[in-house]
Amino acid sequence: MPSKKRAGGKKKTGQSNFAKLSIFQPNKYKFKKSCPLSVKGAPIVDYKDIRLLKKYMSENGKILPSRITNVSQKKQRELSLSIKRARNLALI
Amino acid sequence: MNLYEHTIVARQDTSPAQIKQLTEKYSKIIEKHEGEIVQTEEWGLLNLAYVIKKNKKGTYIHFKIKASGKIIDELEKNEIIDKNLLRYMTVKVKKFDLEAKYFSRKEGFEKKE
Repeated sequence: MPSKKRAGGKKKTGQSNFAKLSIFQPNKYKFKKSCPLSVKGAPIVDYKDIRLLKKYMSENGKILPSRITNVSQKKQRELSLSIKRARNLALI
Repeated sequence: MNLYEHTIVARQDTSPAQIKQLTEKYSKIIEKHEGEIVQTEEWGLLNLAYVIKKNKKGTYIHFKIKASGKIIDELEKNEIIDKNLLRYMTVKVKKFDLEAKYFSRKEGFEKKE
């Protein structure tokens, strides 16, 4: 997975899941260890927060696996539930 | 008494007067059954992510309700036969988040997506 990598990948949101990968895993073969939603001051997962939810979805609208985004199990469950709620309301 | 977040999506061709009517109609149902509306939000006309009954857009109205579960039954019973509505959803929450406004009039926010 980490073989495909963009220099300074933070800003780019490109074509496939690998582009998303570079958002969450900026360093080459070094994986971030902590969950981005569990740290202090992290945003609350909510079905109305489309912008946050979009970050954890692929371009085709699928939910990204937590092994790519490094989200903890608990938060991943919350995420998938709120993504499904937002889908029902046709928000995403 | 429980706390609920209730969202309804109205058709794209409903006029502002009709939207007001809808809001009043459902507010009245809640009040009649001794529920309490904490907050009402109008998210306005938003683009739907996919077409529902040939509608590309929909008007979103969001209620924050403090009521018992029976009222929700009553509400949804009325909403399911309402032809002006496309979707409705009720979510039970532990605590209301009254500050966060995800759909306030930041136009650039919607266009980015």
